[in-house]
Amino acid sequence: MILDDEAIMTEVRAGDVGRLETLFDRHQPALVRYFVGLTGNRPLGEDLAQESFFRVLKYRHTYQPGANFRAWLYQIGRNVFADHIARRKTEVAMPEEVPEIRGNEMPPDREFQKKQEAVLLRRALAALPGDKREVLVLSRFLDMKYEEIAAVLKIEVGTVKVRVYRAMRELSDRFFALSGERAS
Amino acid sequence: MSCERFREQIPECLAGRLDPAARERLVEHLESCAGCRTEVAELNAVWRAMENLKTKPEDAPDPAAKARFLAAIEGYKAGMGVSAEQQQTRRVLWFPRRPVWQAAMAAGLLLAGIFAGRYVAAPRQEAPELTQLRSQVESLRQLVALTMLQQQSPGARLRGVSYSEQMAEPDPQVEQALLYAVNHDTNVNVRLSAVDALQKFTGNPEVLRAMVDAIGVQDSPLVQVALVDLLVQVHARGAAPAMARLAQDARVDEAVRQRAAWAMGKLGGAQ
Ligand SMILES: [Zn+2]
Repeated sequence: MILDDEAIMTEVRAGDVGRLETLFDRHQPALVRYFVGLTGNRPLGEDLAQESFFRVLKYRHTYQPGANFRAWLYQIGRNVFADHIARRKTEVAMPEEVPEIRGNEMPPDREFQKKQEAVLLRRALAALPGDKREVLVLSRFLDMKYEEIAAVLKIEVGTVKVRVYRAMRELSDRFFALSGERAS
Repeated sequence: MSCERFREQIPECLAGRLDPAARERLVEHLESCAGCRTEVAELNAVWRAMENLKTKPEDAPDPAAKARFLAAIEGYKAGMGVSAEQQQTRRVLWFPRRPVWQAAMAAGLLLAGIFAGRYVAAPRQEAPELTQLRSQVESLRQLVALTMLQQQSPGARLRGVSYSEQMAEPDPQVEQALLYAVNHDTNVNVRLSAVDALQKFTGNPEVLRAMVDAIGVQDSPLVQVALVDLLVQVHARGAAPAMARLAQDARVDEAVRQRAAWAMGKLGGAQ
């Protein structure tokens, strides 16, 4: 029988820490993506995810039985990230140079365009304020519903909605400014 | 409801999470509000582009990371959890010590991971409700594609073309807009992309005829060659006589004539 996250975490809280292995398997890859989305840096993202799970282990008794486990995990993840920032002002890693389309002579190759677009977009994302980048990572990359994001960030659902929209708006402005209507 | 309120719903709509009633109100508003249509077109282009930034979910944690975590669990069980934490702290601090090359390396790893397909997972089966959501936003997508194809800037029109390619259902209006773009767009890149995007519509003999006609009115050899190539790619046997004429036409660019002769051979039109 497959137990849900909340039931497992309740057992962990009660002292069966070995059950954490299952939760690690289920959530660690996405948590790594969350941190990579925030930092643009995979090794760092893996370290921060590791630190988060160490804290789950250490602070297991603070879990409220029945509370959404994923939301709780990401609350811990946010604290880990905040501590990391406080320790050291990290810059979001800047992606490599943008490949140029050489004049109108070269037919734009679809893969090439996509790659170029991805580089510009990653830059635009890196330039966003942290709170905006975070809601986009949660909603777009981790496919969290607004209700769940609200639980993670401890804000109202309506606030999430507005913040996601404003983040998309700013990302899109930055993205189009960077791409400078290259195709024209 | 103000434009701002409608615009705040756009990301939910693009994610397929807006409830049907709200989506209908949004679409209704879009039909009468050019400003919000542009907003949808722009946000949608970025929303789609973000798809390529997603690192594909890995099925399982990295074995080394898992081994460290299991060791920490064992440590806790044995009442020595502290050492595992110290070990962890050392790793986190180690990382940013050489910021320049570390950052470069990290960016490289990240990009290599994404582009070399390290994280490409097997295509997963879509849940039925997701398929349903997709079809619900389809009409909105068509609206958006059309809107974008009519934009002033070539960049926006290009995005409109690539957007039209993502539509599951070929739409006649979009088909017409693409043909129009092939024939009349002032920007060669837009015309070339429109030729690519037409591929989905080549099941329609009308489209094949229109493509053959388009070759004659094109002033760009690049676009002419792209059209010829697409005709060959979809085995448009009916186009063989037109290719024969094109290969003989002295007014046509030499490279295009050679391509047409090649196409004629491919299509089995050389009698
Ligand atoms: Zn409006």
